[in-house]
Amino acid sequence: MNAQWMPIFEKLKTWARVNSPWAIHFNSGSCNGCDIEILATLTPRYDLERFGVKLQGSPRHADILICTGPVTRQARERLLRTYEQMPEPRFVVAVGSCAISSGAFQNCYNVIGSIDEVIPVDAYIPGCPPRPEAIIDGLVKLLQHVSSSSKMEIAK
Amino acid sequence: MNTIAALEQAEKLLTPWTKEAVRPEPNRLDVTIAGLDLYACAAALKQEPWGYLSAITGLDLGLEVGELETLYHFCEGAAITTLRVRLLRQGGSVPTLYPLFPVASFFERELSEMFGIEVTGTPDPSRLFIPDDWPVNVYPLLKDFDPKVVQPRQADSPRSFQPQDGQTFYVPIGPQHPALKEPGHFEFTVDGEVIVGARMRLGYVHRGIEKATESQNWVQNLYLLERVCGICSHTHATAYVLGVERLAGVETPPRAQAIRELIAGLERIHSHLLWLGVSAHEAGFDTLFMYSWRDRETVMDILENLSGNRVNYSANIIGGVKFDIYPEHAKTIRQGLDFLEERIRHYLDIVTTDILFLQRTRGIGRISREEAAHLGLLGPTARASGVVRDVRIEAPYGPYSHYPVSIVTSEAGDLEARFVVRLKELFVTINTIRVIMDNLPESDLSVRVPRRIPAGETISRVEAPRGEVFYFIKSDGTDRPERIKVRTPSLCNWTAVLSKAVGSQLADAPLLIAGMDPCFSCNDRMITVKRLDGK
Repeated sequence: MNAQWMPIFEKLKTWARVNSPWAIHFNSGSCNGCDIEILATLTPRYDLERFGVKLQGSPRHADILICTGPVTRQARERLLRTYEQMPEPRFVVAVGSCAISSGAFQNCYNVIGSIDEVIPVDAYIPGCPPRPEAIIDGLVKLLQHVSSSSKMEIAK
Repeated sequence: MNTIAALEQAEKLLTPWTKEAVRPEPNRLDVTIAGLDLYACAAALKQEPWGYLSAITGLDLGLEVGELETLYHFCEGAAITTLRVRLLRQGGSVPTLYPLFPVASFFERELSEMFGIEVTGTPDPSRLFIPDDWPVNVYPLLKDFDPKVVQPRQADSPRSFQPQDGQTFYVPIGPQHPALKEPGHFEFTVDGEVIVGARMRLGYVHRGIEKATESQNWVQNLYLLERVCGICSHTHATAYVLGVERLAGVETPPRAQAIRELIAGLERIHSHLLWLGVSAHEAGFDTLFMYSWRDRETVMDILENLSGNRVNYSANIIGGVKFDIYPEHAKTIRQGLDFLEERIRHYLDIVTTDILFLQRTRGIGRISREEAAHLGLLGPTARASGVVRDVRIEAPYGPYSHYPVSIVTSEAGDLEARFVVRLKELFVTINTIRVIMDNLPESDLSVRVPRRIPAGETISRVEAPRGEVFYFIKSDGTDRPERIKVRTPSLCNWTAVLSKAVGSQLADAPLLIAGMDPCFSCNDRMITVKRLDGK
């Protein structure tokens, strides 16, 4: 492709990415509270799909990794593997107190720590669990960040 | 059979082996026996039949005593018989009860892993829910466990999914998978489309809550135990506070009890509608998923209106509840319930008449009443097979003695019956909530409970949306519990589901799993079921 078209092509890719971010959900030790709220966010009342967000089964098709819960010893490897299977550029959202700081499960023997001790996190959504509105807000902020981000440059 | 008669009968049955029998509480019988007699005692109870094996608790009696104790809890109605076996701290062993109670294999593996007690004759002695790289001879629930000895996790060893014999294939599912929102790893061995072996492995959400409770005080633990499971948080908190209140000897005010049951009812509605949606999704019926979750928002609004939070509403405090129900709340609750009742009637209509959906549920995963009782199923899964098992009715706790509920059962035992039973249960729940709101007694909302809870042991059983939740609480008279044992219903129900998976079509597996309403977070555990085809 001609070099002069590259910036336009990049813009097009960002536009597509921001308007149809596919998400994957991984629970690495959560109590389900955040998970059911994420699911509620996708259902008709809150309808996250109006932002183009689609929950996707395979990490290889996903742009955003939505993580819940503290990282348990057994789940750490799987979390890393899920993250590594995602194509670049990839974004990680940590949902809930446990994902941010291990929350109530700090110092439990089988808990390693928060999500950002294992993989880099782009957006944090606090709450126990966060309300669906908060999850939408966090994701929209992330998408705004993506549309104007320097992360795109890094990813190249 | 009333409770006293049941306990007397159990005492008589166990006389030949009894070393010491005491009645610590009116509904409990504790029988101390020798480890060698355990199987004979359990067989005597099974033969009668007297109750079902509800849980196995391990206790570390401390370094000074140098002994461990295992407690086998059998429940019959409200009566609980506990077989107590004392073991040496090092090298203690007990015989397996697996041939009598299949569910025991899970309990026993947890026991051996947490306390280092050897279980002889168990069909599967492998690790249950602690990670693979856990050091040997380190047992987290022993009092002298030091978390520092556990090194950071190493990489998993790669697993092979090669066909074994050229005939069968492994189909690995999870732990991250699109259907269930929680991590669980399943391995189905398939011959063509038919499942010939099922294994599962949990433990991805095992956090170590039971150990953590021992380092926090009674009030802090309430917060933690609500987070055993985000879906039935109120149930766990209720089980805990009921036990602690009994130990402390305080009487909860009647209004607080009524509010507890009301919240439990709302939780049941939200949980069953959630389950309906997820199960419909597993069957490929996404429209039903979306509709049921839309309607579920009604009950979430009510819960938020009452408590300020949609999930983890933390209604309970030790000695009462946090918030009251005002007339303006009652109005929105009634409106919400009217709407939900109509919708649930519609859903009941769908799951019993929609031909495409029935093809996925009718006659599939059928469990007979005898099988269900033998496997030790709990909750709606058991009731769908005609087993009358509901703690709210068998052993009414707290509020349920004032506002009784009626039981819903079905004889069919297939997936359809599990849908029907759960949905019909919601009508009962809705009616109960209406009755409570009509008859809310006037009283305080809470009583004062001392910071230190008197020494003692108690058992608290509460009916969660998924079945019986079992709490064993032991206090040593300080402001921290000595031991809290949590046994959740999903653990008992896995046995059935995995044994039913064998012989089914692979395409039915997701719905079979979802049909029992599994809750991994509750389970907190890792289970492996060996190939059940005898190979």
